[in-house]
Amino acid sequence: MSGDAMIRITDLQFHYGEGDFALRIPELLVERGERVAVIGPSGSGKTTLLNLIAGIATPQRGRVVTNGVEVTALDDARRREFRIRHIGLVFQEFELLEHLSVLDNVLLPYRINPSLHLEPPVRQRAVTLAERVGVVDKLGRFAHRLSQGEKQRAAVCRALIAEPELLLADEPTGNLDPANKGRVLDILFEYAEDRGATLLTVTHDHDLLARFGRVIDFKEFYSSAEGSARQEAPAPGVTR
Amino acid sequence: MTAARCLAALVAAAALAGCGEGEPRAVAPSPGAEEVGRLSIFVVNYPLQYFAERIGGEAVEVVFPAPANVDPASWAPDPETVAAYQGADLILLNGAGYAGWVQRVSLPQSRLVDTSGGFRDQFIPLEENVTHSHGPDGAHSHRGFAFTTWLDPGLATLQAQAVRDAFAKARPDQEAAFQQGFETLEADLRHLDQRLSAAAEAIGDAPLLFSHPVYQYLVHRYGLNGRSVHWEPDQPPTEAMWRELEALIADHAAEWMVWEGEPIDATVERLEAMGIGSLVYAPCASAPREGDFLSVMLANAAALDHSIR
Amino acid sequence: MKEALYLAWRYLAYHRIKTAILVTSITLIVFLPVGLNVLVGQSAAELTARAEATPLLVGAKSSPLELVLNSLYFESDAPELTSYGQVIRVAESGLAEPIPLYVRFRVREHPIVGTTLEYFEFRKLRFAAGRAMAVLGECVVGARLAASLGIGPGDTVTSSPESVFDLAGVYPLRMRVVGVLEPSHTPDDLAVFVDLKTVWIIEGLGHGHQDLAAPEAAAGVLSREKNRITANASVVQYNEITDENIDSFHFHGDLAGHPITALIAVPHSEKSGVLLMGRYQGDDEPSQIVRPIGVMNDLLDTILTIQSYVVAAILIVAVATLATAALVFLLSLRLRRREIETMVKIGGSRLSVAAVLVSEVVVVLVLGVSLAGGLTLLTSRFGSAAIRTFILS
Repeated sequence: MSGDAMIRITDLQFHYGEGDFALRIPELLVERGERVAVIGPSGSGKTTLLNLIAGIATPQRGRVVTNGVEVTALDDARRREFRIRHIGLVFQEFELLEHLSVLDNVLLPYRINPSLHLEPPVRQRAVTLAERVGVVDKLGRFAHRLSQGEKQRAAVCRALIAEPELLLADEPTGNLDPANKGRVLDILFEYAEDRGATLLTVTHDHDLLARFGRVIDFKEFYSSAEGSARQEAPAPGVTR
Repeated sequence: MTAARCLAALVAAAALAGCGEGEPRAVAPSPGAEEVGRLSIFVVNYPLQYFAERIGGEAVEVVFPAPANVDPASWAPDPETVAAYQGADLILLNGAGYAGWVQRVSLPQSRLVDTSGGFRDQFIPLEENVTHSHGPDGAHSHRGFAFTTWLDPGLATLQAQAVRDAFAKARPDQEAAFQQGFETLEADLRHLDQRLSAAAEAIGDAPLLFSHPVYQYLVHRYGLNGRSVHWEPDQPPTEAMWRELEALIADHAAEWMVWEGEPIDATVERLEAMGIGSLVYAPCASAPREGDFLSVMLANAAALDHSIR
Repeated sequence: MKEALYLAWRYLAYHRIKTAILVTSITLIVFLPVGLNVLVGQSAAELTARAEATPLLVGAKSSPLELVLNSLYFESDAPELTSYGQVIRVAESGLAEPIPLYVRFRVREHPIVGTTLEYFEFRKLRFAAGRAMAVLGECVVGARLAASLGIGPGDTVTSSPESVFDLAGVYPLRMRVVGVLEPSHTPDDLAVFVDLKTVWIIEGLGHGHQDLAAPEAAAGVLSREKNRITANASVVQYNEITDENIDSFHFHGDLAGHPITALIAVPHSEKSGVLLMGRYQGDDEPSQIVRPIGVMNDLLDTILTIQSYVVAAILIVAVATLATAALVFLLSLRLRRREIETMVKIGGSRLSVAAVLVSEVVVVLVLGVSLAGGLTLLTSRFGSAAIRTFILS
C-alpha cells in the first residue's frame, strides 16, 4: 500500500503562535504518481498543509517525509534546496515577478539557488515548455503584460522548469476563466503523466474534482480550540 | 538604460587630444641665439661703431643702420629698424641726450649701454633755451646738454671703457681680448690728445669761430676761445647771418672759422675777404667716406696745426 | 553572484525613474564635495601659478593685495602710484632685473599695460602675428582681446577717458596694433600692451606738437542734404602719434619722477632676492616689496576656510541623502514582500535572495560613485581650462 510514498505525514501537529488555528494530521499518505485534490472550507489549513509538505513551514510535532526525504529533519537551507529541486509550486495569484520578462520568470529558480545551475539545456527547456503551454511568443515581454490565463501558464512553466517529482498547486485555477482552467489542469496532468510526477492540488472548484484520482476532504484534519481532534479513519468525503 | 548613461559618462571622460599648434614665434628673437659666436652690437653713431669694432674685434658684429649721409643726431629709425635694434645683444648709446629717438621707442632695457653714464657730471649744458608753451604745464623750456662727447679724447676714452666693460660682462671668457683692443685704442686716443694739446697750446687764447655749436667738448678740454654761429657748410648764409657774424667778430676778432664739413667756395671767399680763414674739423658722427675715426681726427688735428702757421 | 546581479539589474532597469533618482543622488553627494575640492584646488593652482611666476613686486606702501591684483590680474582700480625712480633703484642695485608696470588706463573695459619689452620674455609670451612695439603709440594685444574685437596688426585701438569729466584736457590716444600674442590662458590674453612711455603720453606727461584728429568724416555724419552735412554730436576727438609728428614727442623733467603702478623685480638669485627685500624694510621707506605668492596664499586661505564650511554643509546633506536612500530601500523592501515570499516559497536560498536585494543597493552605489568618479575626472581634465576661460579672464 504505502511502499513508495511520495508524501508521508505522521503525528503532525501545527499551530501558528498564539492563534486559535491548529492543524492535526495523525497520518497522511500520498503515493508516487497520484493525482490528489484537497478540498475543504476556507481557513482550514489547506495552504498550511502544502507549506508543511514543501518544508516552507515546520510543525511543532510530527514527521513529514517527502520524496523519501524527512523534510522536518532538515535545516532551513537544506529545505529550500530540497524544495527548489524536487517540488514545483503553483499559486492562485500566479506570483510572477513584474520586473522580469516571462523567460526570466520561468528561469527564476535557476537564479536563486546555487544548487541549480543555469545552463543552455535549461534555457532550451524553458523555450520548449513555453511552446507547449502556448506562451512562447511572449517570452520577451514583461510578465504583467500577459492575460490571466497566460500568466498562470507561464507560472506553471516556472514550476516545471526544474523537472520536479512533486507538484503542489494552491488553487491554481481560482483566478481563471473556464477555458483556461481546463487548459492549465491539462498542462499539469500532462506533465505528471509524462514524468511520473505526483500532483497535489488544493481547489475550491468542485467541477474539477472528477479529473482527480483521489480527493481529500480537509475537514478531517482541521481542528479549532472548540472542536476536538478527528480520527484518521476514512470519513465521508474521502475516496480512493 | 542606466548602462547607457554610465557608458556615456565614461566616454565623455575620455579627453580629446589637444589640437596641435603650429610652432609659434618667440618674442623679439632671443638675441644672438642663432650665432652663439659673435655678439650683435647696435650703435647710435659712428664713433661708437669705431670703438666697438676696435675693442670687440672678431668677437662682435657691429651694426649702425643709419644712412651714411644723415646726421645721426637728427636721425630716427623706422619701426622695422627699431625691431632690428631690439634683437641686438647690446645697444650702445652715446648718452647726454644724443639720440633723441631712443626716448620714443621701446628697447630692451637690460641690453642698453649708456657709454657716457659714468661722467654725467662733466656734461656741458646747452647755452640756448628754447621756450615754448604747450600742454597743461604752461610755459617751459628745453634745457639739454651738448652731446658730441667723443670730440674730447679723454671722454672718448671713458666711453670706450664703458664699451669694454659691457663686452666683458657679456663675454667674460674674452675679457682679455677686449682689454687688449681697448688698450691699443686708448693709446691711439692718447696720441691724438697729445697732438690736439700741442695745437691748442700754440693757438692759445686766439679767438676762433665755430660754424655750428657742436664743439663744446673740444673747446672745454683744450680751453679754446671760441664762439658759435648756426651755419651749414653746404648752404650759403643769408645776409642776416652775415650781419650776425659781423656783429660777432666786432668783439671777437677771430681769424679762423671751423667748419663741420667742406664749405662752399663763395662762403670761403667772402670770409677770407673779412680776414677769416676756413678749416674743416669734422665731428665724424657718421662714417667718413674715406678713412676711419682716428684718421679723421688726426686730419682734424692737422688742420688745427695748419691754422697756427 | 552573477545571477543575483542580473536580477538586481533587471529590477533597477524596470524602475528606471526611481533608480535614476537614487543614482543621481549618490552621484551628487559624492561628486559635490570631491569635485569642489578638485575645482578649488585647481582654481588655487591657477591663481597662484601666476603669482608663483612673479618673484617680487615693488609698489607704493598700501594694500599688498591691491598691488598684486592690479599687477598680476590687471584688476580695475589702480593702486597708489609709485615712481619710475624705483625702477632705476632696483636696476642700480644689481640684485634684480626690474620690469615696470603702469596699469591704469583702459581700452573700454580692457586694461592697457604699460611696460617694457622684457615683460614678454618674462611671461613667456609668444607672438601669433606681427611684432613687439617699436615706437611710441604702437601696441600689442592679447589673443582673446584680438579675437573679440576682431583686430590684428594694422588696426587701431583707442584709450578710454579715465573719468566721464576729463577736465585735464587730455584726449584719448589712438594706438596702432603691431602684434597679436598667442593665447597664454592668463589675464595677458585680454590686455593691450604698450611701451611705458606711451602710457605717460596717454596721461599727458609727454606730448608732441600734434593736431587733434577727428575721426573720418563719414563716421561722424548724421545726415547729408545736398551740400549740407550734419555731424554726429557724439564725435570724439583723439590724439594719435603718426610718422609725421612722432619726432616732436618728448618728456619733461626727470623720468625718475614719472609714475608707475608697480614693478616686477626678477632677482638674479635667491640670495639677491632676499637682499633686495631687505632694502625695503625701513620704517620711513615709502615703498613696499611683496612676494605675490605670499599675498595670494593668504587670500586662498580665506577661500579654503569657506570651502571647508561648504564641504561640511554638503556632508550633512550627504548624510541626510543617504538616510533617505536607505529609507527608500527599506520601504521598497516592504513593497516587495510578496515577491520575496515567492522566491522563498519556490526555494530560493537565503543567501541568493539576500544577494539580490543587496546587489540592488550595490549597483546603485557603484553606478553613483562611478558617475561621480567620471565627473571628477572631467573636472580635473577640463576644470583648469574652464577656470581660466570663465573665471580668471
